[in-house]
Amino acid sequence: MYPAPIEAYFAPRTIDEALHCRAEAGDDSSFIAGGMSLMQAMKARLATPPALIDLNEVEELRGLAKGPRGVTVRPMTRYRELAVTTALHGAMQAIGDAAATVGDRQVRNAGTIGGSLCWNYVASCMPNVCLCLDATLVLVSLDDGERTVPIDEFLIGPLETARRDDELLVEINFPAPKYRGVASAYRKYGGTIDSLPIIGIAALIEVDEAGVCTDVRFSVGGILPTAQRFDGIGDVLRGRPGTPEVFAEAASAAAEAIETQTDHLASAHYRKVLIRTLGRDVLAEAHARATGG
Amino acid sequence: MEKTITVTVNGTAYTRTVPLRLLLVDFIRDDCGLTGTHIGCTYEGRCGACTVQIGGRAHKSCMKLAVQADGKEVTTIEGLGSRDNLNRLQQAFSRYHALQCGFCTSGILMNAAEFLKENINPSEAEVRRALVGNLCRCTGYSHIVEAILAASAVRHGVKPVPPPAGTEPDR
Repeated sequence: MYPAPIEAYFAPRTIDEALHCRAEAGDDSSFIAGGMSLMQAMKARLATPPALIDLNEVEELRGLAKGPRGVTVRPMTRYRELAVTTALHGAMQAIGDAAATVGDRQVRNAGTIGGSLCWNYVASCMPNVCLCLDATLVLVSLDDGERTVPIDEFLIGPLETARRDDELLVEINFPAPKYRGVASAYRKYGGTIDSLPIIGIAALIEVDEAGVCTDVRFSVGGILPTAQRFDGIGDVLRGRPGTPEVFAEAASAAAEAIETQTDHLASAHYRKVLIRTLGRDVLAEAHARATGG
Repeated sequence: MEKTITVTVNGTAYTRTVPLRLLLVDFIRDDCGLTGTHIGCTYEGRCGACTVQIGGRAHKSCMKLAVQADGKEVTTIEGLGSRDNLNRLQQAFSRYHALQCGFCTSGILMNAAEFLKENINPSEAEVRRALVGNLCRCTGYSHIVEAILAASAVRHGVKPVPPPAGTEPDR
């Protein structure tokens, strides 16, 4: 495993510079973020970009900001930072849950949320979490300037997104919750601790003052063609109290509705078992957070 | 295809002209001659033996190109302590017999040293989870975990758990 020869390497300092580097580097060039997926693909010669535009020195692409309309996470924010920040607690806590369990310490020190979204590997956490939390992505290019893409339209299939090769992801925006009783959670199951998920589940729950579910978003990762939301879960949960029985019923409905695949990691049936059991636990966790329990 | 870079490794600036595709681990080993950083898998990012610190953070150096470290401060195992002056974590590894063949040890030390900076009093579970990115095929990890726990306890003035009887080093 070793990268093929690389003809050019750029380390821009600003978004504008990065876009101009991309124009200079040509069509087959590639942006590189944390490199936790792309470097692996390059070493295996699955990707052989003749030129790399390294985003690690672009300060504008890092960090997160909380405002009245929600939270903006810059794409080069690393898993480690997302795992420890308290700015996401409550409605966006699923991001921290996922970030804290990606790979290993070394991966979390390098890997980024934006890199994961743009790579959109089937067994990954961030696309799933961002789908659940209704993210809106901002992409920029020299040709078309800025455009905004909802996460539903961004995630297309395995290793495929709506981002054009000349476009740079510059913002991931999460809407502010409507009121206080909103929280999210994420859990996954993989072959070893913190490994790529066979199934990952993200859930966001809104509750009223009595703890009754008023709305819910529920999404599943680890399935083909890409992470999916199951909106039918709202029909089971809305207007009902947050009890283990209700969550089990809701997760079972999700497991039944969602199509799963058999591959080298797990059978389709086992994936449904995971959706049912993890789903129940994630809903309970999100509900407990939403009610302050 | 090549670029001249300057990487500060353990306080010494190394200026070299390298192929763009050169991995940082090979720069450290072949260009800097610092062979304490090991390659345990075939650059797959799996084993963690090549873990070094870049800007104080643990990274697998097979997951970075050397050109990405241009202008950066890198610390390798050679910068952690010396044969005559082992740092606290290295002393704990010796005392708790936390290595057998030693191949994975430098990577584990570089990872654990950063972990202990952020986790002043970690639980056993936290230490075990911190080791996910480092494979050891000899020890079964038990003594590694004990050594890391002991190093953190010593740092904060807590009396470390004594090693089990019969595991004291000869000297």
